[in-house]
Amino acid sequence: MGLISRLSCFAAGRPPFFVVTAAGGTAARLGVEAEARERGWRSVASPAACSVLVVCGEPGPDLEQAVERVWRQIPRPRALVRASVPGREHLITLLDRAEHELAAPDRRDSGDHAAEGHESGDEPGMADREADRDGLKLDVLHVQLGPVLADWPAGLVVRAVMQGDVVQRAEVATAEGTGRGSFWTEPWTAARTGDPVARGTAERRGAARSLDTLGRLLAVAGWDRMSAQARWLRDDLLADHPSERLTARFERLSDSVGRSRTLRWMLRDLGPVTAPPARLAGDAADRLHALLAEAGTAMGLLDDPTPLDPGNEAHDAPDTAPVSLLPDLLAGADLGAARLIVASLDPDLDRPAASATHG
Amino acid sequence: MGEPGAVWAVAVLPPVVAGLALGAAGWDSVLAARDAGRGRALRAAADPLREAARLLLRPPRTVAAADRLLLRAGVVLLPAVALLAAMVVPLGNAMVMDPAVGVVWFNAVEVAVWAAVWLVGWGSNSAFGLVGGYRFLAQGLAYELPHMFALTTVGLGAQSLRVGEIVQAQQGLWFVVWMPVAFAVYLLSVLAMAFWGPLAHPVADDAAGGAAVELSGPDRLFFLAGRYALLAVAAAFAVPLFLGGGAGPLLPAWAWSLVKTAVVLGGLVWAGRRFPVVRMDRFAEAAWTVLIPAVLVQMLVVGIAVL
Repeated sequence: MGLISRLSCFAAGRPPFFVVTAAGGTAARLGVEAEARERGWRSVASPAACSVLVVCGEPGPDLEQAVERVWRQIPRPRALVRASVPGREHLITLLDRAEHELAAPDRRDSGDHAAEGHESGDEPGMADREADRDGLKLDVLHVQLGPVLADWPAGLVVRAVMQGDVVQRAEVATAEGTGRGSFWTEPWTAARTGDPVARGTAERRGAARSLDTLGRLLAVAGWDRMSAQARWLRDDLLADHPSERLTARFERLSDSVGRSRTLRWMLRDLGPVTAPPARLAGDAADRLHALLAEAGTAMGLLDDPTPLDPGNEAHDAPDTAPVSLLPDLLAGADLGAARLIVASLDPDLDRPAASATHG
Repeated sequence: MGEPGAVWAVAVLPPVVAGLALGAAGWDSVLAARDAGRGRALRAAADPLREAARLLLRPPRTVAAADRLLLRAGVVLLPAVALLAAMVVPLGNAMVMDPAVGVVWFNAVEVAVWAAVWLVGWGSNSAFGLVGGYRFLAQGLAYELPHMFALTTVGLGAQSLRVGEIVQAQQGLWFVVWMPVAFAVYLLSVLAMAFWGPLAHPVADDAAGGAAVELSGPDRLFFLAGRYALLAVAAAFAVPLFLGGGAGPLLPAWAWSLVKTAVVLGGLVWAGRRFPVVRMDRFAEAAWTVLIPAVLVQMLVVGIAVL
């Protein structure tokens, strides 16, 4: 065994991975993130930094094209994981295979169907000049946010016209869902169709959804420490860990995040919403606190055995409100603020009938 | 007190800087593993080495119409800046050189980071890279003035810009004791110049890695290693400026320098994880309306004291 192959073996451990989630791929994404966390894989925000590209769910033609383009640009050794269905055993096999492929770089990698064009076609589209908000003529960039973007809602695409790092105009489109409904609202959908569901089960799913949104918002806010803790707690909730320890951990997390002055300073006045629904009202800081409160309520009901009454809240109604708000909220925001606004609204586009174009 | 030009100092400098940078990266990996709830978090200390091996074995990625010359220049500039700045940082009593304007040398060299990050962001020909470059320039405008005033305060207190004399001036009392504001501002500017922790907006994940968005292979290794080296060297410079240099009981001076540096560096890495990223559209205002007046008052106090 030569030095290079030994070094390759060492370098193949705990690979950095980049996740692309198709509409309807939430359950697969959660499975991958939990399993990757156990293995010490590090999630990265740029395809250039990753060794493993993970595609969760079943991408439609547009996303598939984007995935192939991104895959072509990733230098070897690399591995492609297609996690189209959740299921722990299945995911373990897939991630094992990826680790194996990285350790033996001589072999052709699994995704080698694409032609070897190494040049990327992703250069910023420079159109022409327009007056900016101060009336200066500045170059205009056309930048597409999503669908291949870390910590971004699955199925959302924002086409932004930018000057410098400021979004001047934004058009919002959503990908076709799978029509199978959202992973997050499964308990409510099941209860509606007559299956017996305990309230605690639904609250556990609801709390995990809040923590998923929280983890994403904190990741976009650049607070890795709290984001990692939120996601760890989310994974343990979904893995049905007993409620007492989880509740204590949530209290600590909620305290640290809720009391952070720096975070409030950074989120204040971002994306103000006055129209209903209530959970979106206020600015991004208000939405963060509403999210913590919602998660806190759910965390208190994890052991509630009473049957779930699906009728009182429209949990699986289309989540269109955040999407229709986006074009107005994003105009005039810089890229950092725009990302925080989207993360604080975190639309769940897997719910039925959410596909529409606004702009 | 200083022994500038010691041959062994030249030989020792790169491995010491590399060791400190690796230590900081390993410590950060361990903290990250603990926060993510991974078992055996201590094992993550080897992650930076693993990442270095991985990046060395990979070809760099090519991007259409990227300006490779500028990109590479920026990538190589970062570790170069760290090493050049380290030349005036004493290890115990030894340093590569001790010019009469040592503090100015450090400041002048470290400003080249502005160019490095901008070149990398611009050269990658990506909107995200460009945004990362803009963000660092805005950050530079926010931190550089408070940083320079903090350095000036130290020079004023010691009545010299020669690092050796600054250390000597602290034989009675460390500067951190009567210049706490300048010390705090200096530490904040260390995070800013190494774009690390809460001041990592230029390479933040919300812009897909910002200036570093397209970096891969050895390019990425140089960039990341240079960034940690910069953090380590700037933390090490706090020791002669504020913490009495190599002064301390029992241990030899070089050991005290290393111990104090490790404490400052470890503390910065630990503290950096406890805050979200601050955006310059909000922070710049605070830097100019709070930090600059605060450090000017500090300078006034020091100026009256040395009169």
